[in-house]
Amino acid sequence: MEAKRFNKVFFLEKINDIKRYIDLLEILVTRHLKVRYRGSILGVYWSLLNPLILTGVYTAIFGAAFSQYYDNSILNYCLAAFTGLVVVNFFSSCTAQTLLSIVNNGTLLNKIKIPISIFPVSIVFANLFHLIVGAVPLLIIFTLVTSSNILNALLLLFPLVSLNFVCLGIGLIVSSLYVFFRDLHYIYELIIFVLWISSPVFYPSEIVSDNIRPLLNLNPLVSIIQSLREITLSGNPPDLSLVWSSFFSGIILVLLGLICFKTLYRKFIDLL
Amino acid sequence: MEVIRLDHVSLWRRTQEEFSYDLKKTILNLVQGRYRSPSKKQILNNIDLVIHQGEKVGIIGANGSGKSTLLKIICGIFTPTSGTVRVRGKIAPLIELGGGFEPEISVVDNIIFYGILLGFSKQEMKGKISSILEFAQLEEYAEIPVKALSSGMTARLGFSIATDVEPDILILDEVLSVGDAHFQSKSKQRMDQLWQANTTVLLVSHDLDFLQKTCTSAILLDKGNIKFIGSVHEAIKIYLE
Repeated sequence: MEAKRFNKVFFLEKINDIKRYIDLLEILVTRHLKVRYRGSILGVYWSLLNPLILTGVYTAIFGAAFSQYYDNSILNYCLAAFTGLVVVNFFSSCTAQTLLSIVNNGTLLNKIKIPISIFPVSIVFANLFHLIVGAVPLLIIFTLVTSSNILNALLLLFPLVSLNFVCLGIGLIVSSLYVFFRDLHYIYELIIFVLWISSPVFYPSEIVSDNIRPLLNLNPLVSIIQSLREITLSGNPPDLSLVWSSFFSGIILVLLGLICFKTLYRKFIDLL
Repeated sequence: MEVIRLDHVSLWRRTQEEFSYDLKKTILNLVQGRYRSPSKKQILNNIDLVIHQGEKVGIIGANGSGKSTLLKIICGIFTPTSGTVRVRGKIAPLIELGGGFEPEISVVDNIIFYGILLGFSKQEMKGKISSILEFAQLEEYAEIPVKALSSGMTARLGFSIATDVEPDILILDEVLSVGDAHFQSKSKQRMDQLWQANTTVLLVSHDLDFLQKTCTSAILLDKGNIKFIGSVHEAIKIYLE
């Protein structure tokens, strides 16, 4: 009897915790977006300028040299560069912001009891919102134009969800480690650069020598970029094994991130 | 009814000054075989404590004796290294919010933000906005970003949010007092209200006269140990010796 009552109380407390987590998440995400855009939703499109300008630069410089790998079409190269840039840009800005999220809220964590994971998670959600309003409509248009198949547009969900899983997983890892190692952001810049140059964003993966190319697949962004390109640009029904492998690497990274966070988070408060 | 119970609570914390915070150094130390695991210090030692509903408990002790740490353990910010902490009811830490506002977003948004952090739901906070603004005398500033407020106004806003609560347990690390003469008398009234009969209050302060006037019992901490629990008068006497 007593045990049953206890279970019920425990259960209600859990429900309350979940409600509070959702409330906190909502308020942190809206705060983040409000600070970023200061009342103008057009700010989202301002940040699309970065991938658009880079696409222009890459096309101008590499377009002529690489277009032979893209059916001799500069436009195809241009679109491929853009989809790759969207992924890499999202990844680097999202994880770089997440890295700082726990340490930056250290004072708050010392004053009020808040679930620590809320800070990295809220940054990923804020960036996801950003992606959905900014680049996703463009990707959907590309898909509909090239394949005129609504199913392909729905399949976009998989690489985009995997991308966010990858960001969340890596974000949890780096934000946890940053509590202990405050020089991590210098090293992380280097890691981002390695991931960025090893993703076939502005070059076709065919130019990489056969010995090295399998190594590129260790980069979790590669399968995401490839499946995204297949869905948006090829016009064919996409290779599902590619879609699954990107989804799978996303899941693995989220699990790794959760394990890393779970083992470390009790030690955070002494160092904040 | 007992509302707070600590059984054999001890807390060890890493000492920050010894910690390198640095990946480069840590790796180099590892390579050179000079790495040692960070040292820990005992902050609280085997604390047993029971507090009943409605008690007003003053906590006294020298600097570094663990007073604020004890409050943070009860709030759930620190988890004890060993022992158990049990708290029944809604607990509210009265904290200085002044510096913590997000300067770019509006006063109302900041009110909702801090309300949710302090444990209220969004609906509850929406209902409280007007009374908070009224108390802080900032009705005309509702939609203005916090960076446009003067420092006195920000402090008033912080106090109004932090004290607009109906907690079962109130936690105070030093008494809050802000603003001009008029606001100070208002804030004193508000503190008196919070001090109602059935609210349990835990208060850390160095103002011994104030403690003697307001508290029903006191805890004397000394280097992480409870040296004395009982009447305020007695505790202060031992503390001063």
